[in-house]
Amino acid sequence: MVTSDIYNKEYDVIIIGGGATGAGTARDCALRGLSVLLVERNDYSTGATGRNHGLMHSGARYAVTDGESASECISENMILRRIARHCVEETDGLFITLPEDDLQYQQTFVEACQRAGIRADVIDPAEARSIEPAVNPDLIGAVRVPDASIDPFRLTVANLLDARLHGAETLNYHEVEGFIINQERVEGVKLLNKHDGSHVEVRGRVVVNASGIWGQRIAQMAGVKISMFPARGALLIFGHRVNNMVINRCRKPANADILVPDDTVCVIGTTSDRIPIETVDDMRVTREEVDVLLREGVKIAPSLATTRIIRAYAGVRPLVASDDDPSGRSISRGIVCLDHAQRDGLEGLITITGGKMMTYRLMAEIATNAVCAKVGNNAPCVTATQPLPGSEEDAPRQGDTSKRYSFGQRAAIGRHGSLAARIEKDNDIDNALVCECEGVTVGEIKYAVHQLHVHNLVNLRRRTRVGMGTCQGKLCSCRAASLLGELNHDVKHAQEDLALFLDERWKGMRPVAWGDTLREAQLTATIYQGLCGLDNAVNIQGKEDMQ
Amino acid sequence: MAERMQLCNLSENNFEQCTKCSICTTVCPVAAVTTDYPGPKQAGPDGERYRLKDPAYYDKMLKLCLNCKRCEVACPSGVHIADIIQRARMRASEGKRASLRDTLLANTDLLGTMANMVAPVANAALGLKPTKLVMHSVMDIDKHRTFPAYSRTKFETWFKRHAAATQDAYPNHVSYFHGCYVNYNFPKLGQDLVKLMNAAGYGVHLLGKEQCCGVALIANGLYKQARRQGNVNAASIRQAVNDKRHMVLTTSSSCTFNLRDEYPAMLDIDTSDVRDSIMLATRFIYNLVDEEKIKLVFKQNYKRRIAYHTACHMQRMGWQLYSIELLRMIPGLDLQVLEQECCGISGTYGFKKENYERSQAIGSILFKSIEEARVEAVATDCETCKWQIEMSTGLPVENPVSILADALDVEATRQANGLK
Amino acid sequence: MRMDTVIIGGGLSGLTCGIALAKRGQRVAIVASGQSTLMFNGGSMELLGSIGGKTVTSPLEAIATLPQSHPYSKIGAGNIAALAASAKELLADAGINMEGNTSANHWRITPMGVAKPAWLTLSDHLRIDNLDNLPAKRVALMCIRGFFDEPNGMLAQGLRDLGFEVKAIEFTTDDITTLRRSPSEMRASSLAKHLGSNNALQRVADQINALAGDADIVLLPSVLGQNDDNDFQSLQAMARKPLRLVATLPPAVAGMRMQTQLRHYFKMLGGNYLMGDTAVSGAFDGDRLTSITTAKLGDMPLKADQFVLATGSFISRGLVADYERVYEPVLGLDVDADADREQWTRFNILEPQAYMGYGVATDGNLRCSKQGTTIQNLHAIGSVLSGHDAVKMGDGTGVSMLTALAAAQSILA
Repeated sequence: MVTSDIYNKEYDVIIIGGGATGAGTARDCALRGLSVLLVERNDYSTGATGRNHGLMHSGARYAVTDGESASECISENMILRRIARHCVEETDGLFITLPEDDLQYQQTFVEACQRAGIRADVIDPAEARSIEPAVNPDLIGAVRVPDASIDPFRLTVANLLDARLHGAETLNYHEVEGFIINQERVEGVKLLNKHDGSHVEVRGRVVVNASGIWGQRIAQMAGVKISMFPARGALLIFGHRVNNMVINRCRKPANADILVPDDTVCVIGTTSDRIPIETVDDMRVTREEVDVLLREGVKIAPSLATTRIIRAYAGVRPLVASDDDPSGRSISRGIVCLDHAQRDGLEGLITITGGKMMTYRLMAEIATNAVCAKVGNNAPCVTATQPLPGSEEDAPRQGDTSKRYSFGQRAAIGRHGSLAARIEKDNDIDNALVCECEGVTVGEIKYAVHQLHVHNLVNLRRRTRVGMGTCQGKLCSCRAASLLGELNHDVKHAQEDLALFLDERWKGMRPVAWGDTLREAQLTATIYQGLCGLDNAVNIQGKEDMQ
Repeated sequence: MAERMQLCNLSENNFEQCTKCSICTTVCPVAAVTTDYPGPKQAGPDGERYRLKDPAYYDKMLKLCLNCKRCEVACPSGVHIADIIQRARMRASEGKRASLRDTLLANTDLLGTMANMVAPVANAALGLKPTKLVMHSVMDIDKHRTFPAYSRTKFETWFKRHAAATQDAYPNHVSYFHGCYVNYNFPKLGQDLVKLMNAAGYGVHLLGKEQCCGVALIANGLYKQARRQGNVNAASIRQAVNDKRHMVLTTSSSCTFNLRDEYPAMLDIDTSDVRDSIMLATRFIYNLVDEEKIKLVFKQNYKRRIAYHTACHMQRMGWQLYSIELLRMIPGLDLQVLEQECCGISGTYGFKKENYERSQAIGSILFKSIEEARVEAVATDCETCKWQIEMSTGLPVENPVSILADALDVEATRQANGLK
Repeated sequence: MRMDTVIIGGGLSGLTCGIALAKRGQRVAIVASGQSTLMFNGGSMELLGSIGGKTVTSPLEAIATLPQSHPYSKIGAGNIAALAASAKELLADAGINMEGNTSANHWRITPMGVAKPAWLTLSDHLRIDNLDNLPAKRVALMCIRGFFDEPNGMLAQGLRDLGFEVKAIEFTTDDITTLRRSPSEMRASSLAKHLGSNNALQRVADQINALAGDADIVLLPSVLGQNDDNDFQSLQAMARKPLRLVATLPPAVAGMRMQTQLRHYFKMLGGNYLMGDTAVSGAFDGDRLTSITTAKLGDMPLKADQFVLATGSFISRGLVADYERVYEPVLGLDVDADADREQWTRFNILEPQAYMGYGVATDGNLRCSKQGTTIQNLHAIGSVLSGHDAVKMGDGTGVSMLTALAAAQSILA
């Protein structure tokens, strides 16, 4: 459908925000038969969805402090294992007690897990060392829980795909500038199309504000006040996996106490700092954050001290102040769904926020229930049982060793599940690798560009892992830029896109630019600036916001 | 940072340090001749990241790796690319049995012992057309290959009969790890070493117990046996080094590389305490000459034009310099140093039917450069390179030690070194 | 083992210095820790391309304005012309045919179709002397099907922006389609191997002759001749149009070719090239370096009268940055670098990065120092030197060759 047709329709529901929650809500609404438009100001999963640990909590982490969240987590955990198989790796997790920790806490922890319905097996430290050799060998206690690793990019895309399969429209690079409000009733949104700078209005019966930490700003546009408390967390990505199980510290949640194996890498995090709401768009990681993450990280897995860090990133958790305590002293970490008709007397607007990526589906269900109540839809929610596209019962699994598959094809199955079947692989050129670190083929890039709303290289990276490996886009970024330029018939901007992509990669490398990561950066500069003269050809100042 | 973390990035085989520069791919002899092999970067560091995630990402085509180590030599980042690949193969082969053919090829000493006992018959049989065809079709050993001839008398037997008694009389002493090739196929090389060392005033002694170094066992996936034999050798070498204060000399670059570097890297046999005492004879001799501890005097009338081929493992050890510099000391020798290329045999690799064509294609660059060098013989420190080059070029191939022994004026050298 | 001079580093600067010394009868050993950054060179040498973001047209004049800390200033701006002339001669002696001069930069065409100032360019590679007077009008850009290390779209666009009429023509041959069966190994270097026979070249020539139409000149990715320009010459003889090569993404065939030819030449002059070995430490006697120990030669150190450090920048591990400092890893020499890690880099990737200018500290004679003491017999050359920025100034290869020759002169004096 051409964009102008999308604008001219009137929707049952317009969802603001292309993170996991927004995408999940779009899917749920679409599955219940509503007409849906989702708008996202940047690319999908650029907010907190794409900037967390990639941890599929068992809930154990919250068991002691927040039993309700813990119960939600374990229940969603079990659901995601079924419906999002291709986004989930069932790694299991350990909660380890180090000599500096109080071993008494382990008992408190296990009891709390049991109360929340989370399986928690106390195991011998020796067994922990044997099942997870990367763990700090000095540990004095270990508990095994059903933590897992989940890919939030894939999860979001799968939700969007299913939403579209069921009639939803989704638009990225469309920023909400205001609401159409008529007699205390929201009737639609005013949008800026960031591709061409045009302004449009789209009408909908209900609008769902699923924009995470940016929800406060969005609500403000409707004249509604929500007090968000941004909690910033920084993380480090290491060049390869040192661990194959999630490793947590068995103590009250603190800085850098979780190490998650994510696809080909592992991630240590997070820090946690309250920041002013005005600064939520500044994702620069500071030297102090890097120091803390490293210092604490090596306590979990000593080999992190000598493993190459390939990048650092930060995200902002959308925490919400309880309505009965606007001072902010009482902050909810749970799911918050606000019907602004009841709360503020503004009909047609719902805010879904709080929660965590892990509980996106439940949040979506709650928001969709609220929408359905308003539009008089009685269809039941099926998202807890209906697998996402790519995760059908008979979908091939990671690392399928079948002879028929080349490395790139196997890597693609790991990323797209059964959808990998849609990737062309019948000729040598489609099977050729663009990104050698991550095994991304020409065919996979074609598939992503044609099916997954890719406008630039950074979008392409989120859909495929191009440039997410050790070298952060050394040879592959040029190959991918050429290919993308060709597929989008836009060679003119290929160089600029390439430079912006390399810049985006550099932003993550810079806080950890020493050792081999600095060598890598110098080599990339030597190739793209020295050999190719990319810096002579483009000026990217001020164009970074389209990433 | 007080804890001094992240001062260097280290991981098994340094794969951490790979910057994905792809230089290794330009020197891989296998990738140059077949598109079935994913090349050292993909097979090594790239693939390893996926294998760490899930061993199921192992690619069976890694078996095509020659383990020539040229990728490691070219790598500007010090990544042990070939070791990563070998380790992956090892992990993938766990619990699997090697084929009869591979077991036969790998057991160079077993084959040698049996063959020695019936050398003339064995040589005739292994060379016979029907036998070759059976080997080709049943055993998958390529019909073009001729097994190196087996000697009637083992080197060890010769040594005990003709040399052992006189060795104690020399003022200095070394031990000798002769390897299977010298023992079963070509005792002359061992005899040449004894001749050379004796003339320089060194008595030569065998190790307490020597078994095949296991290079072929490793290549054919018989890791357990390789480890068992490796432990025997390590113990014998320790005895020679620690008890007798001997250097342990070798005349095969592959055995040397295996004893020094593959034992710890592939078999987890720690030989670091004696590693510096295991060396190629040419390195030992060069150093003695360089430090003016011995003198070598060569025949006046010696005149030959010889090309030196740097075996891949020799290059990996970085010791070709010693063999080359020693050969350059021979006044009548016109030495052409060839550009380093792989000959394609890689031990037992080229003997396998499925590898024959690839093996010859890999070697073709080297064969051409030998042809262009217009020499009467080729010198190299590796016995399997010798078989390959002899079969493929028709030129005789000699170990530098044999050339030195051949060119040596024994009497004059003995006198120069103060021997009677 | 004793040498007259031992050079640590086997790239462009180390080989240039080694050749200059071996030519004068010195016994020289080069310790080369793997292949060098020439692998990322598209077939050109640069003297000086840019100062402060401004393109340099007359390098000699511009060099005279460089600060005292720049390596060119150390070897003397007045000596540059003579050193550059001997560098060009040395390249020619090694069989590397390059064109260009020091009085005015010409333009090399990058894989992305950008014109960058250069001093010398391989004679079989595209070179433009004057952007206002292009050497040809109609260009046939031959694009190899399935080869992704030449960004053809960008290249064609860049050439059009320069004023060429460009026809991009995709082609393939049996050899090329065979190679593409490999998902990963269709690189410029592997194409150079697969096209390295007369039959394969003839098949390429047939395609060119059939498809080039009315072009004045035919451009082909630089995928010919890892060892010399013979394959190019053969193809030119078969093709009915003038041919030129355009650099590709690395590993770059042109750079590999130059590296190979220099290495051959050095060996031919009797030099010892210790490929794949790494210098790990040195022994000093007062203000003199007496020997270096390498990883492979182990307990038999390399002794020499003179030593040259040509170990390159961070990429080549001539410099190492860790969490807290930048240092020279082999001999622990003094370095010019900011102490504070936050100063090493800038936020935007295309800004000049401070780390690019880091290197070992040298005196006016390129001699290194250790804890403030000048080491009398140790020169540093090439990218390991501080005070220049190969990426932003376009002076990397020039600094490598010219400091190498200046150090050789100093050693021989």
